[in-house]
Amino acid sequence: MGVDSTSDNEEPRSVAPPRPRFAKLGAIGAAAQASVPGLYAWAVTVAPVAWSRGGSLFAKGAAIAGLAALGVGVATEGRWGPRARFVSVWGLALTSALVWLLVPAALGPLRLDAPRGILGMVGWGLFALASAAPALGADASSSGRIVDDEPLQPRVPIRRGDVVYIGGAIVVAVALQLVGWRVTVPERALLVRLVTLAAALAIIGAATTVSLARHARAVTPTPRSRFRAALPWLALVLLLAAGGALVGSR
Amino acid sequence: MKVLREIHLADALAVVLLIAAGVSFWLGSSALARAEDLKAFYWLAVGVVTVRAAVQVVRPGAKA
Repeated sequence: MGVDSTSDNEEPRSVAPPRPRFAKLGAIGAAAQASVPGLYAWAVTVAPVAWSRGGSLFAKGAAIAGLAALGVGVATEGRWGPRARFVSVWGLALTSALVWLLVPAALGPLRLDAPRGILGMVGWGLFALASAAPALGADASSSGRIVDDEPLQPRVPIRRGDVVYIGGAIVVAVALQLVGWRVTVPERALLVRLVTLAAALAIIGAATTVSLARHARAVTPTPRSRFRAALPWLALVLLLAAGGALVGSR
Repeated sequence: MKVLREIHLADALAVVLLIAAGVSFWLGSSALARAEDLKAFYWLAVGVVTVRAAVQVVRPGAKA
């Protein structure tokens, strides 16, 4: 039963014009957008390694090849389309990995300080984000909108408190990434990074669940049954805390 | 302040547990970095259990 939701009397919904800044950003290609954080990540984490003491000519060549892959991706995007992104993403990632393999001592904790390591993580994260989800350009034939259909209406309004929940979780997740940058043993340093990443993901996931649970209050059980369901876990928390306090006091 | 008024008791407990989990994970990671493995294991276990408890308080039966 196809029922048209718009009647003749109903005025068409006004569509907000796109912001010029984002429209300009969407007009350039995905590889070009990703090239900026890619260049930043290369400058922070690859170039200092290749041109460090002990960096061979081959490592320098691989670093330059990674930079060239970024340029080739930007230059050929108009002709090759999305395939050009593979050149820039895989070219930069593989040549960077090759540089790090050729000069492993340059990534040691004694030569890589914490701020540069964190800035490098942010740079590679932004490069991955810009490569996987670039800003979309507006279609000229669709009156300034990306999607031709009517704007979707949210079923549930987003409460303001959600920002506090997710923002707090992100602060905790970032704080966890500041731990363990002075570890001298590579295996332990890698283990600390894995543990902190897993813990950060767990915190963000739990905060999202707690935040979303407030919207589904009508279908959730009563507070007493909720506490009863969580009682084993709360008891386990108290037990672990009491055990730790007991052992710590000796 | 409006946000604080909307928070139920279960939500408040979940937030406190989440903060405690974050602190536990931070202590566990720090202990792991200092090669104090027993302490690290203890604090990471406390963190995992606390995260699980926070989710169970607001959504019984859900997985963390």
